[in-house]
Amino acid sequence: MHMADALISPAVGAAMYAASAATAGISIYRLRREDSLRPGLTSKRLPTMAVASALVFAGQMVNYSIPGTGSSGHLCGGLLLTALLGPWAGFLSMAAVLIIQCLFFADGGLLALGANLWNMAFYGCFAGYYLVYRPIMGSKRLRPAVKLTLASVLGCVLSLQLGAFSVVIETSLSGVTELPFEAFLALMQPIHLAIGAVEGLITAAVLVFVYNARPELLPDVQSSEGGPGRFSLRGTLAVLAIAALVTGGGLSLLASSSPDGLEWSLFGNSEGGYSENLGLNEDSYGIESPASKAAGGIQEKTAFLPDYGFSDGSAEALGTSVSGILGAAMVGALAGLVCLCGSLLRRRGAGRK
Amino acid sequence: MSRFDPTGEAGLSLRMVEELAAADSLLHRLSPLPKLLLTVLYIALTLSFPKYALSALSVMALFPAFGYQLAGISPAVCFRRMRFILPLVCAVGIFNPFFDRDPLFFLGNFPVSGGIVSMLTLLLKGVFALTAAFLLIATTPLEDLCRALRRLHCPRILVSLLLLTFRYITVLLEEASLMTQAYSLRAPGQRGVHISAWGSFLGQLLLRSMDRAESLFDSMLMRGFTGEFPGDSGSGTPPAAWAAALICAVMMALARMYDIPAMLGGIILGG
Amino acid sequence: MITFENVSFSYPGGEPVLKGVSFHISPGERVGLIGANGAGKSTLLKAALGLVDVEGAVIIDGSALSRKTLPLARKTLGYVLQDSDNQMFMPTVLDDMVFGPMNYGMSRDEAEALADNILSDLGIARLKHRQNHKISGGEKRMAAIATVLMSSPKALLMDEPSSSLDPRNRRALINTVNSLSVAKLIASHDLDMILDTCDRVLLISSGQIAADGAAWDVLTDQRLLEESGLELPLGIQGSRK
Repeated sequence: MHMADALISPAVGAAMYAASAATAGISIYRLRREDSLRPGLTSKRLPTMAVASALVFAGQMVNYSIPGTGSSGHLCGGLLLTALLGPWAGFLSMAAVLIIQCLFFADGGLLALGANLWNMAFYGCFAGYYLVYRPIMGSKRLRPAVKLTLASVLGCVLSLQLGAFSVVIETSLSGVTELPFEAFLALMQPIHLAIGAVEGLITAAVLVFVYNARPELLPDVQSSEGGPGRFSLRGTLAVLAIAALVTGGGLSLLASSSPDGLEWSLFGNSEGGYSENLGLNEDSYGIESPASKAAGGIQEKTAFLPDYGFSDGSAEALGTSVSGILGAAMVGALAGLVCLCGSLLRRRGAGRK
Repeated sequence: MSRFDPTGEAGLSLRMVEELAAADSLLHRLSPLPKLLLTVLYIALTLSFPKYALSALSVMALFPAFGYQLAGISPAVCFRRMRFILPLVCAVGIFNPFFDRDPLFFLGNFPVSGGIVSMLTLLLKGVFALTAAFLLIATTPLEDLCRALRRLHCPRILVSLLLLTFRYITVLLEEASLMTQAYSLRAPGQRGVHISAWGSFLGQLLLRSMDRAESLFDSMLMRGFTGEFPGDSGSGTPPAAWAAALICAVMMALARMYDIPAMLGGIILGG
Repeated sequence: MITFENVSFSYPGGEPVLKGVSFHISPGERVGLIGANGAGKSTLLKAALGLVDVEGAVIIDGSALSRKTLPLARKTLGYVLQDSDNQMFMPTVLDDMVFGPMNYGMSRDEAEALADNILSDLGIARLKHRQNHKISGGEKRMAAIATVLMSSPKALLMDEPSSSLDPRNRRALINTVNSLSVAKLIASHDLDMILDTCDRVLLISSGQIAADGAAWDVLTDQRLLEESGLELPLGIQGSRK
């Protein structure tokens, strides 16, 4: 579910960065406040968080074979970290995992990092925890193993559904896909339903094992008798509201100002080709892309072709594209040449040693 | 056996990146902060190209091409690790030719639809962004990158967490890899962990890891740890590095503002 | 230097691990701590470091351990962990070495100068800029000791220092340990190493001191060792045949 850089526009990327950075900031603030309540006692949090993130990182590489399918599933990191560390520390730990995955394994991208943090860490740690995990742990009737399984599966399914939904919104708003919004959604949600269920089951298996061996590692399971484990309507509503605000409100604001248009105004390019192009671009993507608008787009396009024709104006069908293709080919050849020269030099250098 | 062991593979791949980053070259020597900012700028500019701007976008290939040569790293190293994320980009892009069939231009008599162009643009963007990000990490050790983040006022706890996590990833990957190997030796022919061991496999590792965290904490306490790592300002960025980065940035911006390949082709065809 | 007066400890809801342990270690004394698995060796070390809350008095360098004296006591003692990976948590050897002194307010430059001295004393100056996860087990153990020496401890507490070392690295470790003049409390199953590095031995069995005497006397007492779940050191087994 990692978003690639190519799938988002800089504006959407920046917006998601802002949302994730704000979440991280609040998390750090909350942790600091918790620590300041116990002055004089050095917090064990940092080493625990680091080792837990490293564990999730390694654990996500392990293949779990799904019976009867021949394929394999993986661990749901966000929920596991949250169950161990609580949502605030869990979010930061998950952030560390995602940053390292993005840097060293090209899972995701630098610009898409904010979006990935939101889609995976935020939903996994906060939505999964406050809406599902904690309310279920608060139940007095169920046995701990049942509670853990139920909470893991439902929590993973919910957070992956929200995550997949965000991926669709972010990609659509970035205007990189022609796939209609509904079709994209219809493609993503069911797939992630299945993935979420499997990830949830694997996470449940791990949590139940941990609970049987060392119940003190999972603070929420035991707190069912006490106050703090109780379902908190206010917390739930707050999380829902924030999620709705950011995904719905924040991003649709951006959409109306149009990501491409926004960037374009930054560069202030007046070349006809692009802005014409952009006009079409704006019309053809989005939730509804009526054929009439697309047709209008073609007209615009055919209208600007002559501007870019050959100097004598004879080859009307070729237009700007030929000079573009020629130039791109030259650039490609140049890039290839640079690489070739470099590798030849390197080989020579190695031979001399 | 090793085919079953993605954890071991991940460990190897981490090691490889670190070895690349430990080398020395002009690009390795460029201070981390300008390098980080330049990479982000490059990716942002690349992604900001409109969806049909294939020819204009192609010029952005030159930056990583020169970068890899300056760093003395073969781009092939990077291409191999794109196999995880590029399929996703393809999966999204593959629909464009089906939904956007209006011809954008004709290549001879063959109409090239907007969808094909936008798909190729998307793919190129994906490749460029990944090569740039990989170049950054392949020429900058994580410690240096973390110092750059501190200079950008990234909270200290997050930076410490990143460093500490990275340190233990190598340790835990090794442990997980050993467990996977031990498992696969006793369960030949299985492609993953069987459902009967779903909980205990990672659960065992988790319990041991929590003991490790305990012992790690002891070691930190013994050396005067009080909840945060001591500050490390690192050395400042020399003006020359900023100047070099600025020149690069201007070149990138120019490449973004003008369709250089089309101008080039136009001159040749026209002249 | 280190005094235990009737120290007991049990994990919450568990069996007692230490039961009324008393002993005294003088400055510069070299003491081995032996006992079967689970006898309480590691816990005893942790009790001396104030890492677990015990009943009874632990006195370090003349002052009883309490919240207030803990930071100073920890600076006085050096603790070499069994798993060097847990000891060396910073990216490079140098980063790790300066971590402690910088926490105690030393500047980075001063700390680096100190690190240079210690590294060359131990003969591992080549490790200075190496990354902790890339050096070998033997190198890691030596680097861990270097890290601990940074705070100039008056006593060194070591938990299984020779575990998973090859014979040559083990020998190098023994030489290094013997070259340090500070007091030492070494917990180990490697009885031959204890014989090589310690003058006195504490034998601990089910949380109690079963023997406290000269290393040679304790380590050659076959009956005593076997009662505590141990065997004669290999060197002594060999010489008896």
